[in-house]
Amino acid sequence: MATMTYLQAISSALRDELRADERVFVMGEDIGAFGGAFKVTDGFFEEFGPDRVMDTPLAESAIVGTAIGAAVVGMRPVCEMQFSDFISCGFDQLVNVAAKMHYRQRLAVPITVRLPSGGGFSGGPFHSQNPEAWFMHSPGIKVVAPSTAEDAKGLLHTAIHDPNPVCFMEHKHLYRRIKGEVPEGIYETPMTARVARPGSDLVVVAYGAMVHVALEATEDVDGASIEVLDLRSLVPLDEEAILDSVARCSKVVIVDEANCTCAAGAQVAALIAERAFEDLDGPVVRVATPDVPIPFSPPLEQAVLPSVERVREACRDLLAN
Amino acid sequence: MPQMGVSVAEGTIVSWAKQIGDPVQADETICEISTDKIDTEVPAPVSGVVAEILVDVGTTVEVGVVLARVATGTPPTAVAPVSSASALANGTPTRRYSPVVQRIAAEHGIDLSAVAGTGRGGRVRKQDVLAFVQAPPEPPMHIESPYRPDPLPAAGSGQLSRMRRQIGAHMKRSLETAATCTTWIEADMTRVQAARARLGVTALSFVAGAVISALREHPQLNATLEGDRYAQHADINLGIAVSLGEDGLIVPVIHGAHELSVEGLAARIRDLATRARSRQLAPDEVRGGTFTITNPGQYGSIMATPIINQPQVAILDLEAIVKRPVVVTDAEGNDSIAIRAMTVLGLSWDHRALDGALSAQFLASVKGVLESV
Amino acid sequence: MATETAEPAVGPTGYLDLEDRIWLLRAMLLMRGIEERAMSLYRQGKVPGSFYDGFGQEAVSAGAAFAMAPEDRLCILHRDLAAHVIRGVTPVRILAQYMGRDAGITRGRDGNVHFGDAHLGCVGMVSMLPDMMLVATGMAMAFKLRGEPRCALTWFGDGSTSRGDFHEAMNWAGVQRLPVIFVLENNQYAYSTPLDKQFAVDPVERAAAYGFAGVTVDGNDVEAMFEATRAARARAIAGQGPTLIEAVTMRMHGHAAHDDMKYVPREQVELWRKRDPIDRQDTRLRELGVDVEALRAEVQTEIDAATEQALTSPMPDPVDAVDGVFAVGEAEPLGDGLAPWSGFAAGGAVS
Repeated sequence: MATMTYLQAISSALRDELRADERVFVMGEDIGAFGGAFKVTDGFFEEFGPDRVMDTPLAESAIVGTAIGAAVVGMRPVCEMQFSDFISCGFDQLVNVAAKMHYRQRLAVPITVRLPSGGGFSGGPFHSQNPEAWFMHSPGIKVVAPSTAEDAKGLLHTAIHDPNPVCFMEHKHLYRRIKGEVPEGIYETPMTARVARPGSDLVVVAYGAMVHVALEATEDVDGASIEVLDLRSLVPLDEEAILDSVARCSKVVIVDEANCTCAAGAQVAALIAERAFEDLDGPVVRVATPDVPIPFSPPLEQAVLPSVERVREACRDLLAN
Repeated sequence: MPQMGVSVAEGTIVSWAKQIGDPVQADETICEISTDKIDTEVPAPVSGVVAEILVDVGTTVEVGVVLARVATGTPPTAVAPVSSASALANGTPTRRYSPVVQRIAAEHGIDLSAVAGTGRGGRVRKQDVLAFVQAPPEPPMHIESPYRPDPLPAAGSGQLSRMRRQIGAHMKRSLETAATCTTWIEADMTRVQAARARLGVTALSFVAGAVISALREHPQLNATLEGDRYAQHADINLGIAVSLGEDGLIVPVIHGAHELSVEGLAARIRDLATRARSRQLAPDEVRGGTFTITNPGQYGSIMATPIINQPQVAILDLEAIVKRPVVVTDAEGNDSIAIRAMTVLGLSWDHRALDGALSAQFLASVKGVLESV
Repeated sequence: MATETAEPAVGPTGYLDLEDRIWLLRAMLLMRGIEERAMSLYRQGKVPGSFYDGFGQEAVSAGAAFAMAPEDRLCILHRDLAAHVIRGVTPVRILAQYMGRDAGITRGRDGNVHFGDAHLGCVGMVSMLPDMMLVATGMAMAFKLRGEPRCALTWFGDGSTSRGDFHEAMNWAGVQRLPVIFVLENNQYAYSTPLDKQFAVDPVERAAAYGFAGVTVDGNDVEAMFEATRAARARAIAGQGPTLIEAVTMRMHGHAAHDDMKYVPREQVELWRKRDPIDRQDTRLRELGVDVEALRAEVQTEIDAATEQALTSPMPDPVDAVDGVFAVGEAEPLGDGLAPWSGFAAGGAVS
């Protein structure tokens, strides 16, 4: 075990894969000699060379499209979007070519697309988005969103080993803020949910950075026993884990950093309404970013992103109900 | 004045919960009334401000008389007589329950109106119903006995309450009407004590079960006698005397008791007792009894002569269960002294309707069931 | 590198023996025969959805695909049925595919020519054109990374040259000098849009701007198509980068079965009818003494039998509709296709 930041854990996973499997290569804008916009691939160029740490033209559709081509002839490309926001330029290749390939012609597309996402640091409308729900709505793509260093490394290994396109949502705000013990070497974290803290009076369902918001918000809400369920994977969604938490706790708060409408949490809420109705002891409550672009100025941004206070207040209110 | 049951013609205002000028929410209690069937709260039919009170406390008026008017912002609305008794009987404010609360209640056969809510606005939460399941309130069961000690003078002297007067009249009428005899039998409750601990129910539930079984065997006791008109009943509607503390007592009835298991009886007894204490019984729930059980034993008394609940022909009294040395005989006929949980069951019966032999056989049946639980 | 733009049309060469030349005619006859049969089935209501064909363009896919080795990889467009035939997809599976049968290549998941047999080294197209240019570019990138002497090829139309993915693929392939062949199938119309509304400059000239060769070919001469592709492949294998081949041809039917093509001048159609690619190869082979009638009869018999078999094959089971969205287990990469050209039978690509 070694203590690593979330970012170091991601780097570690990539480095271990590049060392272990010659089919693996990483590609993206400015990831070579420069080491990437967030320095995830810092030092890779020196160790693995320009072919396996590939600087690409500024062309997101081409990054995804060529990754698909390489994957179907036996490679294991790992693409980096410099910011998850830019995946919109590669959206067509991902949702039309990659996602539908196996269903149409039983041809697996083992690509991993790393998507540095999320806000909280004045990135503004084009560097702060959480686009995971776009891909949840495209059958054929898996979507994972780790919240801890250990899961970041383990889920990245799982994603690279998976025979399907996987969107790896890595939260920029966690890169250097979150540290944790990370096992040595290559290990796979399953695409299932994780109970971040057990409880019995209420469960907060979250993923990514919101897991930390949820944990802090519910450390002590009038002494109630509050569970935090870290989804870790959005596709596949660990429905049984969600239903299990709801059956025990009966009160649910779902937190999304993404815009509220049709976010991952909306699917969780729908699942609970459909399959856990008789376990509920109150309305399913959602805390999410309202349906606005993420604003730049700090007071505006803080006003829209789910905060510790908002989550705590939502829990307190539901507990009293 | 709401119609509290088909036969009720009049009612008396016991108190006003709201005064003129007070805001009142729909379904909130506005006054308390007393009829010869039941005492109950009257919920306001609309939200608004109490504009007029037309009937004073203590005054008896006919059903249908306007009691008060509530101003809703638009012209004042009368606190209209509620035409359906059941609308009131279902408890005062309309309570809505979350899905999980309803599911738990259904699984445990709980009447949710008996569960106290600790949520916002008194909402029954999951933890409330779970607590109710785990530790159901033990309702005190009391005998309607003329030997109850008089209220202490220090508790206040003065005119008897309406309920006390009604109980007194009822008891006196019974003694004047029936040829009351009392017969006792001793029963070994050791097995019952073990079973009740296992099931988490009261001994009373087992006695109720045994009485139902014995009534099946001796239907002559599941009967009413009015004048010369003696009627045996197919259904067993079991009355259970419930103490309301200093206020008096009431006998809610478990209709169709013969269809219930011991656990089912326990749940119904719990439910009726709780609602009796919170004055939420429907008129139908206090009438139609065919046999009554009373249970003063929890205070340690070992024997009583209960008064028959008219027009029934018998009443069974369950006394304290106490450990005593008892001679027991084993299968080979060897006698020994053992410590057993014993009780005395008393049956007051109406000699007009039946004779001593039958009452003794009935008691023997009850004893037999209890000792072979 | 030196770029060749607008090179004069390349003529027949000595790389094809008589068997090869018969094979090329056979592939085109199969394409036309299968498509005519499918059109007839469409009119009988046995082909659901819409129907697209490549009538008049058979030489483009037949000639290009014939130059590709088994280990090469292809992304095939909707007017290129001959490429599937050459790679080894049987007529019965193609007809079953049109009819949405379980025996079709996509088992009813996708319609008409939206298919590619992964086991034969082919990837099916998507409707967003020219998305497959990037996929082919990525394949070539992998070949180059691994130092393998292979290449990737894809077809796309004149309309596709207007989209961003055309630029991204051309640029990327040029920057990395990838072994990829882009076949621009210029059939004069993108649906109803003529060339002068699609681009201001012949797109073959753009190749130079991206740093590689651009070649214009008579797309109705199957042997010229073969030769241009063979040469492009030789350059690719030699590390000389991509080639853009502009195959000039004519779409002789509407965009789809429902399109009566009123927007195309009658004279233009008549002109191109005289250039029919099948007639051209037919004439060549007759002059060489080949019994073309027997070949035609043989192809027709094969299609008749395939039709019968496809018509009696079952529809997919509705319970399977939700199966196969995700791959399970180890990803299986594309397999090798057939490559009937005698140059490969000789033991490797001839360059």
